[in-house]
Amino acid sequence: MTLDSIVAGRTNGGRQLFTAITALSLIIMYMPVLYLLFVSLNPDEQLRVVVPIHYSLTWYVALLDDHRLFSALEESLFIGFATAVMATPIGLSAAIAYRAMTRMRGIFLLIILSAVFVPGTIEGLGLSVMLRLVRVSPSWVTVTIGHLLWTLPFSVTVSLIGLSTVKPSTVEAARDLGAGRLRAFVDVTLPLIRGSLISSFVFAFLLSLNEHARAYYLVGRQNTLPLYMFGAMNSGVSPTIYAFSGAVIALSFAGVALIFLGAAGRQSALSRRSNQGGRSNLTG
Amino acid sequence: MVAEVEKRIVLRDKVAGRRRRMAFFLALPSLVVFVGMGVIPLALIATWSFWSFDPDSYWIKPVWSLASYAELLENGRATVLLRTAGLAALIATASTLLAIPAATVVGLLSRPRRATLLVALFTIPFFTSGLVRAFAWRLVLGREGIINKVLISLGVTHTPVEWLLFSDFAVVLGMVAAYLPFAIIPMVLVFARIEHSVIRASQDLGAGFWMTFSSIVLPLIMPGIIAGFLFVFVVAVGTSMEIQLLGGAGTSSISIMINDVMRVVNFPLSFAIATVVVIFLIVLIIIADRMLKLSRLFEDLGT
Repeated sequence: MTLDSIVAGRTNGGRQLFTAITALSLIIMYMPVLYLLFVSLNPDEQLRVVVPIHYSLTWYVALLDDHRLFSALEESLFIGFATAVMATPIGLSAAIAYRAMTRMRGIFLLIILSAVFVPGTIEGLGLSVMLRLVRVSPSWVTVTIGHLLWTLPFSVTVSLIGLSTVKPSTVEAARDLGAGRLRAFVDVTLPLIRGSLISSFVFAFLLSLNEHARAYYLVGRQNTLPLYMFGAMNSGVSPTIYAFSGAVIALSFAGVALIFLGAAGRQSALSRRSNQGGRSNLTG
Repeated sequence: MVAEVEKRIVLRDKVAGRRRRMAFFLALPSLVVFVGMGVIPLALIATWSFWSFDPDSYWIKPVWSLASYAELLENGRATVLLRTAGLAALIATASTLLAIPAATVVGLLSRPRRATLLVALFTIPFFTSGLVRAFAWRLVLGREGIINKVLISLGVTHTPVEWLLFSDFAVVLGMVAAYLPFAIIPMVLVFARIEHSVIRASQDLGAGFWMTFSSIVLPLIMPGIIAGFLFVFVVAVGTSMEIQLLGGAGTSSISIMINDVMRVVNFPLSFAIATVVVIFLIVLIIIADRMLKLSRLFEDLGT
């Protein structure tokens, strides 16, 4: 296995063209939020980018006085946490079930993934009328139920990827040494997929934190953060909107970046270990 | 001897049976969530779309009628449905065209480390606030935005270009930027299944990059391309915030229409719109799954 790309030689401009288009895609994905971050550091009322020495956190400090923002933030953090706490084990259990299934596994996976593709507005509307039917009044509980449905497909996928990295022989070795099925799972499988479970938790948390369409139909009296932000974005533009947009985006980026760095670190540690193993075999 | 074999078969059946039971119990929590919170509400909506509004209770009553489906065709609602589908198709096309080169760079032209980095870069924004990402385009495209400033300072125009923001242009740009990962990821998954030797063979036989790309790579990744197009299309049909934040005055979409109809408490009509959309999406996904074996794309995850 070489570390080269599959096509390494001359490409008659193909490499340059494709790389340029890829760069363009990354620019339209990242440029607006980066620009927003810079603008939010500008101390003036006017929207503009200032030179770095004039950067100031004026608008971020002004955020601290916004009580409605903080109660919305609190509500969203709470709902995100509750969603992730439920989505992670349920997602793992569904992933194990999928791997153990012999028949119907395709349909099972399709049902789970299809929840991503039902428009949020329709899912929220449907849940709200059903909950109305069973007389559950809207509150953080109803939003959490909606978000569980939204985040579960991602938790299942992340758990599936994690489980696929566990070698069956490792678990069988534990079983041969006398460990029961449960014991082997807790002592061998779980530690090996710890990283995936953390990713599953963080992804579920972030997806819930930023979800808007379902929450619109499911909230009680207390708004969630995206609903509050949407309101603020559509009513007069105050520079604090840029500051809290900046804060939200910076926090989410930090969260996902940590996950990816952690995964990359584990991967390189693994490959280092297997490389060393290979070398010692050769010398021995 | 025969008894021994029989004993083993019985044992194997026992193990298989236990495995099936375990799979069932482990699948149960997620099935409860998906059926109880996903399928049942949609079935309720579909049923209630045939009921009628009850002015006494401000809710609906079990008087069966097709009135809400007739209303669907009034007041330009059919136009909104078609317009949303057309816009989603445009966004899916643009995303697919941008995603093919990006997925090729990841799957064919990069070393493993850069490929991982690129996949991460394309995935990260999905987990950040879509609301903020759409809103940020206002800064970029507005009258005082960076694009207008650059255009004016270059002397291309003297007055700010107005159609950049609060227009279909802004909506398309915002949605393509938001949903591009949905097109890239299935293609990357398909690239991972291509045998490298096929591409090497094509090169050994003297085919240049473009020849190899068009006659070997493109046909091999076609399922991923179609899956990516569909994913973006389906997600773009359901979204509303990009249109609400970036679209021109009066621009509507299916989701905005449902919210508006709910606001005037015409419940059966909003249920009818939702039902039509969900059935359309389900049929689309089932056809695609039959044609492309979409679930097979994810098989690598399960073995």
